Amino acid sequence: MAAVSQLQRQFIEYTTSLYNEGYLDDQFTQLQKLQDESNPDFVVEVVSLFFEDSEKLLNNLATALQQKIVDYKQVDSHVHQFKGSSSSIGAQRVTTVCVHFRNYCDEQNLDGCLRCLQQLNHEYILVRNKLEALFRLEQQILQAGGSIPMME
Amino acid sequence: MATFIKHVFVRIHSAVNSWEKSHSPCRRRGLHRDVEQDELQHTNTNCLSSYYSVFVARLAIMVMLAILIGLLTLLTWHFTKVYTRTSLNALAYGLRYELLQRPVLRMWSILNSTVEITTAQVKLSEYVVRKYSKPENQAQQVELYEVMKDVTWALFASHKALNSITIKYKNGFVQAFHRDPRDNSTYYIYNDLTNYTMAGPYDVNASSSHQGWNDQTIHSNISAIWYREPLDPDTGEKIGKQNAIPPDDLINIAGISQVPYGAPSWHVAVSKFTNSPLLSAAMPVRDAPEGSIVAVVGVTTSLYSVGQLMKELVEFHSGHIYLTSQEGWLLATSSTTPLLRNSSDGPKLMMAVDSQDPVIETGAKWLLKAYGGKPPPNHEVHIEKAKLGNQLYYIDSFFLNLKRLPMVGVLIIPRKYIMGKVDERAFKTLMILISASEMKLRAILISHLDARRKAEASSNYKSQFLANMSHELRTPMAAVESGKLVLEEAEFDMGRELEGLVDMFSVQCKNHNVEIVIDLSDDMPKVVQGDSARVVQIFANLISNSIKFTSSGYIILRGWCEDPHSCNENGNFSLDQKALWPAPKNKLIQQESPEKNSCKDKKVILWFEVDDTGCGIDPSKWESVFESFEQADPSTTRLHGGTGLGLCIVRTLVNKMGGEIRVVKKNGPGTLMQLYLLLGTPVDIPQENYKLKYADHNLKVVLALNGSMGRMILSKWLFKIGVPTWDACEWNELTHILQELFIPSRYAQSLTYECSKVESISKQEMEVSVFIIVVDIGLLNLSTDIWKEQLNFLDLFNKRAKFAWVLNHDTSNAIKMALHNRGHLMMVNEPLYKSKLIQIMEAAIKEKMISLRHGMLGGDTHEFLEIDNVHSDQESSNDSEKSEINTIQVEETRRTLSCSRYGAINNCFLELTEVCSERNKLGANETFPVVNYGDNSQERRIQYVEKAINGKKSLEGVRILLAEDTPILQRVATIMLEKMGAIVSVVGDGVQAVEALQNPLEDGMPTQTKMRDPPPYDLILMDCQMPKMDGYEATKTIRRAEMGTDLHIPIVALTAHAMSSDEAKCLEVGMDAYLTKPIDCKLMVSTILSLTKLQPKS
Repeated sequence: MAAVSQLQRQFIEYTTSLYNEGYLDDQFTQLQKLQDESNPDFVVEVVSLFFEDSEKLLNNLATALQQKIVDYKQVDSHVHQFKGSSSSIGAQRVTTVCVHFRNYCDEQNLDGCLRCLQQLNHEYILVRNKLEALFRLEQQILQAGGSIPMME
Repeated sequence: MATFIKHVFVRIHSAVNSWEKSHSPCRRRGLHRDVEQDELQHTNTNCLSSYYSVFVARLAIMVMLAILIGLLTLLTWHFTKVYTRTSLNALAYGLRYELLQRPVLRMWSILNSTVEITTAQVKLSEYVVRKYSKPENQAQQVELYEVMKDVTWALFASHKALNSITIKYKNGFVQAFHRDPRDNSTYYIYNDLTNYTMAGPYDVNASSSHQGWNDQTIHSNISAIWYREPLDPDTGEKIGKQNAIPPDDLINIAGISQVPYGAPSWHVAVSKFTNSPLLSAAMPVRDAPEGSIVAVVGVTTSLYSVGQLMKELVEFHSGHIYLTSQEGWLLATSSTTPLLRNSSDGPKLMMAVDSQDPVIETGAKWLLKAYGGKPPPNHEVHIEKAKLGNQLYYIDSFFLNLKRLPMVGVLIIPRKYIMGKVDERAFKTLMILISASEMKLRAILISHLDARRKAEASSNYKSQFLANMSHELRTPMAAVESGKLVLEEAEFDMGRELEGLVDMFSVQCKNHNVEIVIDLSDDMPKVVQGDSARVVQIFANLISNSIKFTSSGYIILRGWCEDPHSCNENGNFSLDQKALWPAPKNKLIQQESPEKNSCKDKKVILWFEVDDTGCGIDPSKWESVFESFEQADPSTTRLHGGTGLGLCIVRTLVNKMGGEIRVVKKNGPGTLMQLYLLLGTPVDIPQENYKLKYADHNLKVVLALNGSMGRMILSKWLFKIGVPTWDACEWNELTHILQELFIPSRYAQSLTYECSKVESISKQEMEVSVFIIVVDIGLLNLSTDIWKEQLNFLDLFNKRAKFAWVLNHDTSNAIKMALHNRGHLMMVNEPLYKSKLIQIMEAAIKEKMISLRHGMLGGDTHEFLEIDNVHSDQESSNDSEKSEINTIQVEETRRTLSCSRYGAINNCFLELTEVCSERNKLGANETFPVVNYGDNSQERRIQYVEKAINGKKSLEGVRILLAEDTPILQRVATIMLEKMGAIVSVVGDGVQAVEALQNPLEDGMPTQTKMRDPPPYDLILMDCQMPKMDGYEATKTIRRAEMGTDLHIPIVALTAHAMSSDEAKCLEVGMDAYLTKPIDCKLMVSTILSLTKLQPKS
């Protein structure tokens, strides 16, 4: 049982750091609260949806910004969608980049947009890694017969 | 109840026993023969008695059941009857009001047109007189008269409703045109020039030389010979020989005596040529502006058409209408009996009480008897059961307050006609489901209204006369300087008048399920100068119009002030709207310039808006709705009633007050009427600065109100004046807020700051906040006894806060008493608006002051605040964690509360705090309480159940269509909504959303439901950006499909944008509310609740 409590403590520390460093915000807590026995894998499910959606959007953005004549309306709509989905799972830092991205979009500033895309890519991969690590930790705890600590 | 039943049971038992006794002798006789069987009989009786007791018990149960069923039926019958009656009464009142309003309006328009024609004649005469100002010889003098005759004829011929136009010159000469309605002949009447001053100097301007300039001339100068020549009614050509006429046959000629001090006048006259009273107006003609009077123009109009309209109205409605002067002289009636009586010196007016029509006569007498010399204020009477002869009648009277000719209209309708069916059925039918018959009755009433409208459309309602009239009404009144509609100038409190109006309409709105809200800005001057009755009339017309066309949502009356001397634009008013208006400021400055020196009063521009969520007006009709007999959509007449005259009058009045009115573009459905009025206001009245006034009192307000619009407006205002406010729209929200505020929690931090300060200053908490909790009585569950429990709960906070209750018009006395007994003394009637809230705040401050002075608060508050102090130390730093702890605390305390509800209040508080401190200790010791799935799954389940109990399933059964393309949001929103108990259907784009609305998704087979059927969803959550068709387009499509029906499905926008322009766009396309991503669950729920609550459950 010592291993379990060790894992649990690790889980708590890791989660706290994710919040403290701004990767996640309250919205993620909200998601966790929505998970119950009728939807046991809700968080993982939604977060995987977010991964799929984000990769598609990042691809679309990259393509859109490579065009000779950039359709900023199109770009804006992608970023907007990204902002909506990232904020909905509480990926705070991704959302923040989206806000900057949209400003550059309004100015039709290609350099700014490209820089933001890069940043967006970076932040996305970061948060994806963090979340995947978190889920792995969860799995380990469950496999060791423990329960997921409630973040309260 | 139990004792009652017992009582009944005993009764029944004894009744059965006596029955048994009375029947036993015969049985005894049969048994008597055999004495031996006596023993046996004994045992038999034993057996029988046990049998009887079973029988009695059964009988009792049956009787009780019968009584219960009977009671239920009676109750149902009673309530439905009461409801039927009130709604029918309202309808009946509307019908009567409209019936009577029409002749009054007709009368008013006749007055208007008469004066307008008079003015026109005066202007023309002045023109002619000035052109021939110095006639040097008879020829020129004659030329003047010839020109005058031609001009007058032109005017006379073009107004067929005129009875006569007369011009009497200073020298005694008279020219007149006259229509004799008896044979439809037209005459030119003049007198013999030679008898007058034609031989003298021709200067008509000389003011002093003629003694003959008085009315005596005509009568005393018998020698004057009057001539009459018949004219062709159309061309004005002479068609016969002139004849001298005897003085008896002369028509009324207006003379100088009718324009005392040169002011125009009007009065009611009679003439032997017509059997209807005449309206006669007289105005002076001056040779120069402010010059001397050189002639008097008189115009008479027959009131015949008013009577005619009344006759038409009663033909379809039975009943009787009559119009009298304020003194009671009959002006027009719906009956065919004569209006004039013949006396030795010609016809005379008749009093209503002398009418030959028996109903009018008895009605007038009844009114005279009931009100005698003291008529009710405004002469408005609404009697529902007046017994005239042996029939019951409605008697209504309305007052037309014209300065020189106040009039009273009276309508007498047999009660049988409107309520007959109701009266009958109410007593005959006990078991019939009344709702069905009520619908029938409504249908009857509506068909009555309908028949009348059809009749009016087909009859000569829009005869030439009326066409003329309506034209007169449409003509801007600027040309008419005086005489027509004289506005009073008196100081009045605009705010109070409008609030009174809103109070008045609130009951009607409540019944229509429409929220009425008044929002007057703080800069409105307290006192203005003007005609209060007319101002009220304007808004009464606008509001009742809005009510007519609004079936759900709200009606807001906004008002704000624009200081004409400062140039800062008002925030309420967007620029593009402003561009539509011809700058009223310039107008104001122009008007002011001549009287710049008189600085005692300044003029202000007061802006108003009447904003509703009704069916709206098509932009192409925005101008024409202000024309008479115009309703935006002719087909709506059937649905909404009314004539459309209201807005015409409104515009006339607004213009008269130097303002303008128009329909302006509105974001969202409904109509937005905007107007401004130019009114005087005393300079030296300072405005109240509420921000300063309440700054020192540390006010804090919880607004727990049902009406979302009114609540929003009030909380905005409170925010503006710096009073912290918490909003709740339903009970659970209120309990949450109260517990968060008063039980140590997030709020404790800010409160602690205050306490420590207070404690360090003095032991008397002089600066303790004044908490005011405003609760709508509608938040209580009054249908069961739960409200008592709810009050018990509120009692816990009674010492910490002042409660103010917003009552309904139908709040029962029992509830009022219960509130009173629990020490809730502050009560106001809905709707709650600013000035009522100010009263509440003032009362609360005053009470606090008094209690502070008496040191009554000392112990309790002290204790409470200390508790806060303790807890705030233990507050953890992480926000999210803290809120988690809080919810649990709330749950815990709630459980405690329900156990100790009947304990003393103080004890409750102690227990509460104990629980809290324990919790906090727990939280302090183990920072992350761990819930083990394996061991404590039971506990976890309990937690969920508890959540559900705590009102978290607040969307139970609400059917929601979610249109969202992002799978993440689809999932998140769906789960959130389903947790709240909602039934969610998801679509991925706008096209599907529109389709889903027509063919509900649940049904496997797409049934061809039209938009007319009750909608398959209660609400749509609509993402703005979606493929194929975005949320804006989808909303537009849905709203278009709803057009012409009274459906309006609430649509809530979902968007990642957070700018107000986006919100505006959402509302513009017809969405009802706006949520930003990420979705805030609480906000979403309250938004959905506020929107779905307005819809009647289908």
